[in-house]
Amino acid sequence: MSEAITLPQAHELSQREKDDALAAYLMNFAAWGAGLPIPSLNLIAAWVYFLINRRKSRFVAFHCFQACTSQIPTTLFNIVGVGMFVDYVLILNRDLPRIFWPYVAFAVLTNLIYLGSSIYACVLAAKGRVHYFLVFGRWAYARYYGPNAVGLETKAAPGNLPPAGF
Amino acid sequence: MKFDITQQESFSRSELLLRTFLGWLYIAVPHTLVLFFVGIWSTILHFIAWWVILFTGRYPASFFEFHVKMLAWTMRLHAVTWNLADGYPAIGLAGSHPAVALDVPYPESLSRAKLLLRAFFGVIYVSIPHGFCLYFRMLATSFLNFLSWWSILFSGQIPANWFQFNVGTLRWMLRLNLYMANMTDDYPPFSGKPIPAAVETAAA
Repeated sequence: MSEAITLPQAHELSQREKDDALAAYLMNFAAWGAGLPIPSLNLIAAWVYFLINRRKSRFVAFHCFQACTSQIPTTLFNIVGVGMFVDYVLILNRDLPRIFWPYVAFAVLTNLIYLGSSIYACVLAAKGRVHYFLVFGRWAYARYYGPNAVGLETKAAPGNLPPAGF
Repeated sequence: MKFDITQQESFSRSELLLRTFLGWLYIAVPHTLVLFFVGIWSTILHFIAWWVILFTGRYPASFFEFHVKMLAWTMRLHAVTWNLADGYPAIGLAGSHPAVALDVPYPESLSRAKLLLRAFFGVIYVSIPHGFCLYFRMLATSFLNFLSWWSILFSGQIPANWFQFNVGTLRWMLRLNLYMANMTDDYPPFSGKPIPAAVETAAA
């Protein structure tokens, strides 16, 4: 693909596309929905949702990709925090290091900022608009609307052939 | 909502025995394994759909289709395990069974007030009364399933009224699920009988 693809405007999108796009950001709450307090579950849910929707439309795929990739930093922060707690308290049975609580404060702040951004992006997606996250927004845009945007077409299944030699 | 299972002319005795003695291996194990993971995904989607309905008043169409397909899957699984239909229930959301028909109309809009009412008081006005009635209905269904098993073994058939009663139990459970999953605003009737199309249209 060599030419950039035009970004669709709100009136050009179907209600279904808008709903699918807004739901991508709500995958941040997947762990609450499943009742499983696993820090990586939200990322897994967002990734599964991206895999399901990546060929539906560029608008939906863009939001799914942005929602999924932008979760990576906060998920890593959460995993490190939970891992530190489990390692020191539950496995080694030692006091938490001095850096732990400042780190938790940093992780909570990061999560709150990300949560706010997600809700904002979610509201805009419901209206058929786009909100670009830092770094990840440009990445998602380049992937779906840039000069080298990926195609959404599914690869044709290879036809059945006789065994070699016939 | 339309749900029905077509009664076969005659049921296979060999399939009945196979299901009874090896059903746990070739039906229960693979279906349970896959449904466990699909169920987690379904729970997540239900949770998200709840918030989407709260803010937009609409059930996301793709989520709705997913849940209808999942319900169709569980219904064909029930149909076969309750000996209401022969054949192997297809695994997966895209599968179907020739005897089992399910049609759930997509609601263009849903009431936010009813959504909140269900979330906070659903246990009191839906789960408890329906659960109480369904408990006794399930006892009767289990008894009829037991009798049907012998009936199929000796005659290859199930009396039509027993069959309809058991299908009605599934229909009742299905309506209850749809209401509690926020997929419809129609309060489920305390009955397993199909609602005539005219009444359903008038209610809509």
